[in-house]
Amino acid sequence: MTTADLEQLEHELPPGEPVDKKIAGKSPTRIAFERLRKDKVAVISSAVVLLLILMGLFAPLICSLWGIYPDNSDPASPRPSEVLSFDTFPAIGPPYYPFTWEHPLGLAPRTGYDNLARLLYGIRTSLSVAAAATILSTVIGVSIGLVAGFARGWLDRLISFVIDLFLSFPFLLGALALAPIIISRFSTNLEALSKAQVIALVSVLVVFGWMALARLIRGQVLSLREREFVQAAQVMGVPTRRILFKELLPNLVAPIVVATSLTLPAYVAAEAGLSYLGIGLTGVPSLGQTINDAVNSYAEYPLYLWAPVVTVMVLVLALNLLGDSIRDAFDPKTRR
Amino acid sequence: MRFKKPIIAITAVGMLALAACGGSGSTNGGSGEGASGIDAETLGSAGSGMNPDAKGPVEIEGAKEGGTVTVLSFSGLNSMDPTEAYYVNTASILSGLVTRSLTQYVYDEESGDMVLVPDLATDLGTPNEDFTEWKFTLREGIKWEDGTDVTAEDVRYGILRSFDRTSFPEGAAYSNDYFLDGDKYKGPYKSGTEYAGVEVEGNTLTLKMNKPFPDMPYWGAFPAIGPIPEGKDDPDKYRLHPMATGPYMFDEYTPEKSLTLVRNPHWDPATDPGRTAYPDKYVMDFQTDNTKIDQIMLNDQGEAQTTLTFDDVLAENFRTFQNDHEDRLVLGGQPCTSYWAPDYRKITDIKVRQALAYAYPYKDAALAAGLIENVTRIWGTNLMPPGIPERAEFNPLPDHEPGTTDTAKAKALLEEAGETGYEIKWLFANDDPSSVKAKDVQVRALKEAGFSPKPVASTIADLSTVRADPDADINVRSAGWCSDWPSGGSWFPPVMQSTNLDEEGLGSNYAVFSEPEVDQKIDEILTMPTEDQPAAWNELDKMIQEKYFPLFVIGYGGVAQTHGSAINGHNIDATFGMPTWKDIWVS
Repeated sequence: MTTADLEQLEHELPPGEPVDKKIAGKSPTRIAFERLRKDKVAVISSAVVLLLILMGLFAPLICSLWGIYPDNSDPASPRPSEVLSFDTFPAIGPPYYPFTWEHPLGLAPRTGYDNLARLLYGIRTSLSVAAAATILSTVIGVSIGLVAGFARGWLDRLISFVIDLFLSFPFLLGALALAPIIISRFSTNLEALSKAQVIALVSVLVVFGWMALARLIRGQVLSLREREFVQAAQVMGVPTRRILFKELLPNLVAPIVVATSLTLPAYVAAEAGLSYLGIGLTGVPSLGQTINDAVNSYAEYPLYLWAPVVTVMVLVLALNLLGDSIRDAFDPKTRR
Repeated sequence: MRFKKPIIAITAVGMLALAACGGSGSTNGGSGEGASGIDAETLGSAGSGMNPDAKGPVEIEGAKEGGTVTVLSFSGLNSMDPTEAYYVNTASILSGLVTRSLTQYVYDEESGDMVLVPDLATDLGTPNEDFTEWKFTLREGIKWEDGTDVTAEDVRYGILRSFDRTSFPEGAAYSNDYFLDGDKYKGPYKSGTEYAGVEVEGNTLTLKMNKPFPDMPYWGAFPAIGPIPEGKDDPDKYRLHPMATGPYMFDEYTPEKSLTLVRNPHWDPATDPGRTAYPDKYVMDFQTDNTKIDQIMLNDQGEAQTTLTFDDVLAENFRTFQNDHEDRLVLGGQPCTSYWAPDYRKITDIKVRQALAYAYPYKDAALAAGLIENVTRIWGTNLMPPGIPERAEFNPLPDHEPGTTDTAKAKALLEEAGETGYEIKWLFANDDPSSVKAKDVQVRALKEAGFSPKPVASTIADLSTVRADPDADINVRSAGWCSDWPSGGSWFPPVMQSTNLDEEGLGSNYAVFSEPEVDQKIDEILTMPTEDQPAAWNELDKMIQEKYFPLFVIGYGGVAQTHGSAINGHNIDATFGMPTWKDIWVS
């Protein structure tokens, strides 16, 4: 934001509040944070997000303290035949036996894995995949948008064409086609396969996710580059790279933050969706996978399905509300 | 997208084969409950009875005419060309409702077993002394769905088509194996209709063999050994509408997806000693998700009352069906064996193979794959499933209860062989959750027994192709096999006889087993007098397992199907593990 904007911002502050002229140099980011802090929805949703992040981050610790296992790689984890009945339903805990603190969310049919442990590790997977994809697609989107907006002529037209091209390519088809290719490529090394799947999933999300931001940034740059301070820099002979990153980028913080905060939940949902379809991750616990498994036994064992569904819902909802609040805070014109 | 256990046909020397992901089901010790299972004794008694004197028409007491039967399944539907129908579902639907062949199976209420009776032929055939020539006389009054007569020439043409392995790669190859010049004659499209092995004289067909084929009446029950009208049989078109000789004909058909059958007005019940045709119509859908099928069957509302499915109930819904709807749950046998076949060329030490059998997590893998002990998974050690005549149970592993894992014993054996840390590589389908779960328990069990498990990821679509490649970088193959008829002749030649790896590949010898002694013994038994064969096959089964132990049996198959409250006559045809289509009526 330019200094002119800043002045305008300050004028818009509620008249009742005493404006201390001495610290008039508050940065727009700081103002936005102050607004966020007053926004109840923002506070609650960020608390929820923080809690889920902590749950994901400390999943191994919580599991070992509780004595539960997300898979059977640990020699101490129970075998299916030890904890399941003849029809694959757990022989302890829900749905047929009373609640037990040993397995608060019950055990998974067929495998006997602990549902809470799967959930914690699933959150971990969801958040790390979504965060990695968001960071990458933001970096790519911003860089391409900056270049496209600032370069006039053929380069801009070329980049715009590429953006259109990627937008027109069917995302789901790409993901569906990629999965078997990766499996056959890494078939003998399961660890590499599991890593390759994570990388492929993030790549698919990024490859089909950077265009919206690039377009947004290009539009912003188009209007910014005609501003006096940019023109002045050009006249003074400042190198283009410097103009892009020192003059233009700082003025784009607000749209970037807003776009990022809304992309993150979309990626969380996409990861769960792709895993549900069986084209996401298979080597690590994932919420989408659990939902897919749980559909078979929904009639008898609804808890098995509801736990991951509610978690995904809460996570996406909290991130979306937080994103909305951030947008409101950074962009006072849309404030309700 | 979710996939269910795929039914995969083996083409080389093919039989009805079933790809299983291996494993077994178990009751948990603590819970004290169990599934009241099916009768494991009669499991694979795939029609060992014969009744050459059966006469039509067949009537079921109290059965009503009319109604529409809806059939649901998830497993798709392969080619419906009678010559190529070699999957349990295609063969069973065609021979049950649409096409007639020389012989057929009918369900015997008393024994719960299938009995071989004549169909188009007036009896079960007359062989010459050494079973190298068979004579079948056709009935009068059999008509095509367009009203024209079915002639012996039509049947001959149908049999000629069964030699063609290029146009019908999925079909069974018994004609090529046993008929005169079967290896040279390539069917009417390539070699013309001049063929000396099938002769027609008035209403009588004479079939000539190149070696004794006492099981010909069983082969005669396949849709491939029935009439096909010459001139209307373009392989690409005929599969879309095979001409009906049975009680129903094709109305609408979308390959792999759906099929509607309506009455064939020219079918005369008086000529058919096996089929009844009470419902007016069959509407079949082959792409309904199993979760959905189970919910439809559980609710039993409206159209669901006249619906049946030939897919197994999901393990998760089995308890509800058994407790609340036991009358609508049909359990039965399927003459299939699932086994793990270590590559005989690569794992050369018998102790390692035995250690593998001790280490295998039978119960855990069954649970992971959603199989129920004593219902859809029955323990055993013989390669041939129960019910085959004169089968005697044996156990090649000392102190091993079938279906249990003995890690300590496996470990000891492996140490004795000096092969601790032996690498085991096998395939699993990474896009099939059941397969991934089974893989996880297998990895753990093998690791605990001192092996180094290295599962190799594949996909549902590719798995059977990679498995059939003799040079694939794996040393264990998980496989399954089903009887085509109750005789060792449908087990040992395809599963245990060595194949020419360069020319025909593995065939269905997944262990890549090759011992001259066994090859010779198989050829010997095939030429023995028929009455001595059953005992000799069992002898051979035991000899192979005790001397060479080329594969270990995980268990036998079973089915748990459901039907709506208005469906009657839904029993299990144990030759296929499919419904007894011929007896179904709607109340």
